[in-house]
Amino acid sequence: MAKSDYFEWAGELFSMEEVFSKPEALSDIKIVEFCTLILGPSTPAYLTEFGATVFKVELPGMGDTMRSLTPWGWFWKNQALGWLKCARNKLHVAIDCHKEEGKELFKRLVAQSDVVVENLRGGTLDRWGVGYRDLAEINPRLIYIANNGFGQWGPYLVRPSYDAIAQSESGEAWISGFPGRLPMKSGIWLCDYYGGLMSAVGILVALHYRDRTGKGQYMEMSQAENIMRAMDWTWLYCHLTGKDRDRYGNRDVAICPSDIFRSMDGELVAVATTTDEQFKGLCEAMGKPELVNDPRFVTNLERTKEGNAEELLSIVKDWVANNTWQVVDRKAQKYGFAAEKVHNGRDHYYDEHFEVRGFKWHIDDSILGDGVEEGVAPKLSETPGRVKWMGKPVGFDNEYVFTKYLGLTQDQIKELEDKGAIGKWTDFISRTPPDDWDGKSGIIFP
Amino acid sequence: MAVDKSIPWGEWIREKDDPRFNREKPEALDDLWVLDLSYANMGASFASSILAECGANVIRVEPPGGDPARTYTPFGITHMGEGLGYLNEGRNKYHITLNLETDEGREILKRLVDNRIDVLIESFKAGQMDEWGIGYRQLRGIKPDLIYCAIYTYGQYGPKAACNKADADVVDQAMSGVTYVSGEYVEDPNNPQEWEVPTKQGNWQGWYNGGAYAAFAILTALHYRHRTGKGQMIDISPAEALGRMINYSLTYYHGRGETVERAGNLDAGVFCYTYFKCKDGFCFLSGFSDVNWSLLTEVIDRLDLREQYPTIFERLKFDNMKKAYKEIEKWTLAHEYQEIYDRCMAANDEAKSTGKGGVVVPGKIRSPLENVSDENNNWWIRGLFEKFKDPIYGELVIANLPWKMSGSPWRVKWICRPVGADTEFIFSTLLGIGKGKLQELKNRGVV
Repeated sequence: MAKSDYFEWAGELFSMEEVFSKPEALSDIKIVEFCTLILGPSTPAYLTEFGATVFKVELPGMGDTMRSLTPWGWFWKNQALGWLKCARNKLHVAIDCHKEEGKELFKRLVAQSDVVVENLRGGTLDRWGVGYRDLAEINPRLIYIANNGFGQWGPYLVRPSYDAIAQSESGEAWISGFPGRLPMKSGIWLCDYYGGLMSAVGILVALHYRDRTGKGQYMEMSQAENIMRAMDWTWLYCHLTGKDRDRYGNRDVAICPSDIFRSMDGELVAVATTTDEQFKGLCEAMGKPELVNDPRFVTNLERTKEGNAEELLSIVKDWVANNTWQVVDRKAQKYGFAAEKVHNGRDHYYDEHFEVRGFKWHIDDSILGDGVEEGVAPKLSETPGRVKWMGKPVGFDNEYVFTKYLGLTQDQIKELEDKGAIGKWTDFISRTPPDDWDGKSGIIFP
Repeated sequence: MAVDKSIPWGEWIREKDDPRFNREKPEALDDLWVLDLSYANMGASFASSILAECGANVIRVEPPGGDPARTYTPFGITHMGEGLGYLNEGRNKYHITLNLETDEGREILKRLVDNRIDVLIESFKAGQMDEWGIGYRQLRGIKPDLIYCAIYTYGQYGPKAACNKADADVVDQAMSGVTYVSGEYVEDPNNPQEWEVPTKQGNWQGWYNGGAYAAFAILTALHYRHRTGKGQMIDISPAEALGRMINYSLTYYHGRGETVERAGNLDAGVFCYTYFKCKDGFCFLSGFSDVNWSLLTEVIDRLDLREQYPTIFERLKFDNMKKAYKEIEKWTLAHEYQEIYDRCMAANDEAKSTGKGGVVVPGKIRSPLENVSDENNNWWIRGLFEKFKDPIYGELVIANLPWKMSGSPWRVKWICRPVGADTEFIFSTLLGIGKGKLQELKNRGVV
């Protein structure tokens, strides 16, 4: 049992009230993003929560294709939800890198930045004259990461890819879903979001090395390969047994019990025991303490064996089916095993736990107004993450960025606009501000 | 100044980042010492794996009987006594034992932290370490620049932090919100099937996402420490870590007052973009924007579908998706995957050369065994898979970290170690505790 004041102490240490009065860990880092869709843009999005300055470079006019992607064609305040989630805290500039003047601007941004993230087909930026070979010349400390489906070389180089293809080619889809059914595509863009996260981890590894040595480097990441590293025991199992890993529904075949059951009151409840001690607790909770000494169930190694596992899961299934979620929850708290109901968006929205932890994040956004998003997942006591704004129209921060970071005058900016090297949004949904925008709010400069 | 590009990009960069050169290069994190106290939690183990593969000196502290995670394994199968789940995440770590339930064990832990440790990772229920007197509150007094990372489903604060329930992957996935939106929808409400329920990812995605986010947070904190000399505490909930990966959920509820519901293998924002059964397995096909959809209807020779669902507004209606899916499936069922792939790629080339435009993207749903069996395939060539001979566990196949890095890449040095295999080495080098004293500690049940 924890000391009585521990949770109070921890609550103060991580208090949401203090977030904006604390420093940001990555406030010295500048990132240039040349990306579309999710895998690319999510990478700097994670880093920007911790203070990195991110220049999101889009094409003038329509910008990132992802600005069109939203559930059931429904836009929130003219914004596509599929895009908005990755746009937080970024400075939105629109540069046409097909034009020489655009390339020049892009290079000048990179020259004073720390990181470049791109997710085009392998070799595209190199062909345009703004790839790693070009950029490393002007910034030897640069950390450059290219994210895509299958990497920069190898047999799959010619293949276009998407999140769903990374899920399917990797084997992740094959091992997800129910036996005898179609392999499951995750309900989220898993290989994109998780790919972006691991891409950010890679950048931070390279940053640590640069902090020590001053040296930048080139990195690439295939999102399919990334999920394969996360497929736990799969490869050892195939190698050692010569068998394939199949789909087992919600049952975890490596930990027993671990499955999702339906309670008496119709909730879907995940129940698991990850230690023998927890298993003992579950048996007591179920009123079947004798199961602990049953030779079929004495250890997890025994419990996971075929036959034994099915027997045990059917006992737990019956127990959950004859109890309400509330009872299962109370017993899990008392006996210390794992049990939680399947949460949906409404559960997250109204649960105070997620509110005080900043997983549910309120933003009073300068452009979009009152908003709520999935907030900051990792909590850092001294340098907490934060969401400052949700997302902006195409090219919204051009003047600010080109003036502050590149020292351009208003006349020079005007000239570049006239040449089409830079630009703003076109009048198209999710490229524009919301209908009630007053024409000034959110503009940093002028 | 023109950059020399006489060597094609792919060849040029492969010389720089192919993992077969990794072992000749410096390591990014070899200045760090990490203490991993993870207990019954593969997320915490994955976090320290990432650091260890990138060169950090990771000391795994297990109770004298070993971490229960060593028993996580499919169908009870073990390899030389180890469960396969843990065997996969023992890489490059020194394995020692220490009984933290004894005063002496906790004193030794404090000395280790004081002497050498930069980062500590733990995954006990919230407050357990604090109760033992070795939580962040106490350890920061010994080592102010310590980075302390706690991993637990309900976190270290908030109304549910003290609930006493355990962390498990399935619970992390269930609580994340991802499970709710994944899996098959109910086709006929009068006759729901047992597989038509919210469905978790098959792998330990809750734990792995938690571990990845822990590594992210630790490295972020290390950068701050590099700048200021200050340490800090990190709180990771694997449920929130996976929940952060949701496409859109809270904003949708906030704006529309509705929850996002599961749509099976369909996607609320794109069609066609899904999996089909084909003659010899399963495939993926896409064609979403008007021009891509148009090309798809040509590939499958169904121009009537183009007329029926001409714009994305028709294609984003759930009922239309279900109907169009069945029509496309008729074609995939009649063809083998290779044929589907070739037809799509040929159509893409033709659309490009004629200027008509459009891309139809094919993909295969491969099984793990298929992926790992062909040693000439993409994954082996790119060094994702590696056959590695461990002195204790023999020749095994592992998946490596996903980055190819030109400067300071990862490498695997050993796959795992038995319980306590490195106790003698670590105690003698970091604590000055030799064989005799170690035996006494063993006798007292401390190690």
